[in-house]
Parts: sequence; C-alpha cells; structure tokens
Amino acid sequence: MKVRADILRTYQTLHTWTGITTSLLLFIGFFAGALVMFAPEIDRWATSPEKHMPAIEAGQYDELLQKVLQAYPKAADNVTLHFDKSLSPVSWYEHGNGRGLALDEVKWHGTLNSDGELVTQLVPVNTLSAMLDMLHRTAGIIGEIDHHQAGIFVLGIAAFAYFIALVSGVIFLLPTLVKRFQSLRRDGERKRFWLDGHNLLGIASLPFHIVIAITVTVFAYHDLFYGGLSQLYGDKPLFPRNEPSKIERNLADLPKVSELVAKVEAHAPGYAVSYIRYGNLTKPIASASVGVVNEQQLMRGALNDYVFINPYTFEIASSSAAHPDQNIWAKLVSTFFSLHFGSYGGDLGRWAYFLMGLAGAGLFYSGNILWLEKRRNKGVKQTRSYKVMGALTVGVSLGALMGIATVFASNKWLTLMTESINQAYLFLYYMSFFSVVVSAFVYGPARTAIYGLKLLALLCVMVPVTSFIAAVIPGTDLWTPNSLEAVLVEVVSSLFGLFFWLLSKHIVNRALQNEPGSIWYLKESTMTSEISARHSV
Amino acid sequence: MKSVAPIQPHWLSKSLAGVVAGGLLSFAFVGLIVWFGPDGLNGTLTNSELLWKTQFNMWIIAPVWLVILSLTFLFKTGKQAWGYLLLASAVCFAMQVVFRSML
Repeated sequence: MKVRADILRTYQTLHTWTGITTSLLLFIGFFAGALVMFAPEIDRWATSPEKHMPAIEAGQYDELLQKVLQAYPKAADNVTLHFDKSLSPVSWYEHGNGRGLALDEVKWHGTLNSDGELVTQLVPVNTLSAMLDMLHRTAGIIGEIDHHQAGIFVLGIAAFAYFIALVSGVIFLLPTLVKRFQSLRRDGERKRFWLDGHNLLGIASLPFHIVIAITVTVFAYHDLFYGGLSQLYGDKPLFPRNEPSKIERNLADLPKVSELVAKVEAHAPGYAVSYIRYGNLTKPIASASVGVVNEQQLMRGALNDYVFINPYTFEIASSSAAHPDQNIWAKLVSTFFSLHFGSYGGDLGRWAYFLMGLAGAGLFYSGNILWLEKRRNKGVKQTRSYKVMGALTVGVSLGALMGIATVFASNKWLTLMTESINQAYLFLYYMSFFSVVVSAFVYGPARTAIYGLKLLALLCVMVPVTSFIAAVIPGTDLWTPNSLEAVLVEVVSSLFGLFFWLLSKHIVNRALQNEPGSIWYLKESTMTSEISARHSV
Repeated sequence: MKSVAPIQPHWLSKSLAGVVAGGLLSFAFVGLIVWFGPDGLNGTLTNSELLWKTQFNMWIIAPVWLVILSLTFLFKTGKQAWGYLLLASAVCFAMQVVFRSML
C-alpha cells in the first residue's frame, strides 16, 4: 500500500517520540501485569499453608456463618464466605477493608473443625500480589492526587501516547507490511534483527495493545469521562436512583446461605458461586455481593462476575453475569473489562495474557534499543541523550525486574524475620530498583546488565532453593509449596532465572565484540580481558 | 495533476488541538449517540438498561478521543486542526440542541 511521504515522515516522528517517552513506564506495567494474571496463585504461594484454614462441606456454610455472627457480632458489617477450596471458608477484616494497597490490614480467618466447632485465627493480610498490582497500575510511581495514586494518571497519559504510537507504527509500516511480517532477518545488520523483531511483535499483538491502550485510558480517567457525560445528560440522571430501604433487618430472618447460592445460580445459569460478601447485615442497607465464575463467559472482574443481591429479599440490584435477561450494554461493558483482565477462557486465557504481557514488555524494550541504535554515532563519542537513554533503558527495566525478583526471593525468609512483611516488600523493591538505576549511570549499561542479570538469575533461583532448604532442614518455619499452583510459581521463577542467565551470557558476547559507542561497549580493556578470560575457559 | 502542499509538523498546536478540541469533539460526538443512538435518553430505559448504557457511553468516549487524537496530525497545519475539530464539535452540539427540541 502506498502512503504519501510527508504522512510517513510525520508518523515516524510521532512514533519515535510517543514511544521513547512511554516505553519504560509501559515495560514495568506490562511485566507486573503479566505476573498479576496469577495473583491468587502468587498470594497462595507467598503465605504459609498454616494461614489457610481447611475447607468445609458445601452444606456447612450456614452453620459456619451463624457461629461467626454469634461469636463476632462485628463481622455482620462485612464478612465473606469463600467457596474456593484454596481459601479459608470464612474471613472478615479486623483492620482495613481490602481496597488498594494498605500495608497493615489484618483479617480473621475461620473454619469449622471436625466436631463442628468454630476455629478462628488472626492473619495479617499479605500484599505481595497487591504490590505487583500497584506496580502494574502505577509503574511504581509514588504519590497521591486526591486519594488516587498519581501513577495511575501518569499511565493514563502514557496510554494516550501509546495509542498514538500504535497508530503511527501501523501507518508507517503499511507500505511494507506484508513483506516485513514474513521476514525476521538474522543476517546483516544487528539493527535489522531488532527492527524485524519489533515489527513482528507489534503487528502480531496489535489487537491486544489497542485493547490495553483504550482500557487504561478509561481506568485512569473514568471520573473525567463521567463528569463530561453528566453535562451531556443535562437534567437526566447518569444512573438509576434507588430509594434506600428503611426496613429494619434482623439476623434471625436471614435466609440460608444455600438458598442464596441456589437463587444466584438460577439467575445466571452456567456460573458457580466463588464467594459471598455480606455487608451491614443488621442494618436496612444490608447487601450481598456475590462472585460468580463461568469460564465460558467474558467476565466483568479479573476473576469473576458480580451479582449484587439483597440477602434478605433476594432482590437483585445489579448483575454483570450473563443471564437470559441481560441487555446488550451490560454484555458489551463486561466485554471491555474482560478484554483487559483476560478473564475469559479460564487458565488457558490467563497463560495467553501472561505471555502477551511479557511480549509487550519485550516490544517496548526493543523499541528503546532501536531508538539507541538509530542515534549511535560512529566512534566512542556519543551524545548526552544517547548516554542517558542507554542508562535509563537498562537501569529502569532491569531495576524493576530486580525489585520484583528480590521480593519473591526474600518472601519466605522475611516471614521469619519481620512482622511487617508488607513494608519490607516495598522497601526491598524500591531499594533494588534505585540501586540498579544508579548503577546503570555510574558503571554504565554494559557492566550493570552483565552482573545485574546474573544477580537477577540467582534471585529467581533462590525461590525454589528456599523450598529445597525448607524440605531438607526441618524446623526452619520455611515451607514447601503445597499445591500445584505454588509449584508452578517456583517453576516459572526458575525459567525466568535460566532466561536471565542466558541473556547475561549473550550480553557478555556482545560486549566482547567491543563495538565502540554501543551501550554494550566496555571502556576498560582490563574488564573485557577479565570477562573474556573467564568465558573462554 | 495539482501538487499537494506537504503536511506541516506543528507538533505543539496539533497535539493540543487533538487533546483539547479533539476531546471536545469526542464528547460532542458521543452526545449524539447518548441521545439519538439505540436506547437513547429520549426513550424509556429500565433501571438496568440505564445503569449499563451509561457505562457503555462512558467507555466509548476513550476510543473516539484516541482515534481523533491520532489522526489530528494528518491536518495540514495546526490552525486547520483546531478549526476543523472545533467546527465539527459545534456541528455535533448544534445537532443535539436542534434534535432534542424537535423530539
């Protein structure tokens, strides 16, 4: 397809600028986002199996709820029944409410023992996956604006630029689209390999990226959009107003859990209830929010659809679950959310999103490499922007990976050392992140990458090694994975370790070619000879 | 064949036009869908329809805005970008006023 030269030039410049200004933020967002696809598994891996209380029979939930409400009247304000066997059957907050990343939340977990007696324990809420989610949504940018994390707004702006980058990338690829898509040239210039790789990744995952750019814009700026929309609506209300109920509620009238489950499952055929969160059971505003799962559907939440129902009258206030009377708008809105969360197609869908998230991070990194290669002068002397961007590219991307790996590697050990493990996560993440960034500026990208990637590989391998230590040395209070999911967390961590180790070796080879001016160039000949001596053995 | 004047960069004024005037146009355009599209505000909506239609309306502002913004750079000059986008917004808003008074 022919595109006019001035249009091509315009969009090439746009692609460069929108790309280079957002790529590192998006790298962190995508890598953390890929991991968050397995948030429940990661949390399960991160906490000692003792913290999870044994599951109970489906028929016992009524008895459990009654006993909890009797022994802990405060629970009536907010108590959750979990039907997912990997979670304690009942839990409620002693401190906090489970929204956002709060470091000091404490929850009661409860179950029934074999004699039918209520057993409970207080468990500090582990925020490992909540911290990854924070990195995913803010790229780790600290600060708040009007009770919202500032990083969310920054990533919202990045999403605008990212969308422009997608459109411009497609426009200036159009003339040679088909030809480029079929070739990944390994011979010839190195730059060409990166260019072909970047194009291939970009075009192959374009629909995914368009979805992410649009949804991130909405997640960041929905308040602004609703504000503008209310102007368009004039005196019409944005949302239906329901008169608050004034009927007093009494726990004695609360229908059985099994009846509520039956009612919800009849409302949304094909779904299974995964949790029921009761709120304000003793007040007129009593509510129940029910999580329902159907892997055949595009679900509104990251893990489930939602049914909001009155726990006394079973009147459904709203439902995102696919049901016979569902209107098209509900279906479409749930689809938008689902396409971002990857909450369709079950585990296969989650693995696909995991891989696409990693591929996205690779796309942004390769874009930066292309930017650098294009701006590289012949010889050792380089521009300031080239040097700064070279250090930032290696420092920020490796720094984020190092931060996350440090948290995973130290997780089980931290439980032995400190009560405030969530604060330790944040401290370790930011300390690792900034150490690598500073190192990239002080010691240069090449040395930082070579040694940093080795350290990163070791941290990744620490994860299974810790479990090995737990298995062979009894009485350490460390623990081994007790489920297939937790084992997979450690397997994936080992694979990352292997990958980073190979990457480090690759960069060593690259540095040994010692191309003056490249970001992988090592100035001191002692360094190169030292490395080459070690690697020729 | 006439020779075509090439596109001027005008990065700042075009970017601002895309964000500000483009933002206005996306609201103006979505306003037409809100009132006169399927399940528009003039009809009678059930509570459930209103609940989800409003969310849908909010959602489509983003893609409309993003598409307008990314195509704004096709205008010859920054001035043209501002001019056409504001004009289009005015037309959309005017259509809303006229149609709403007729219906």
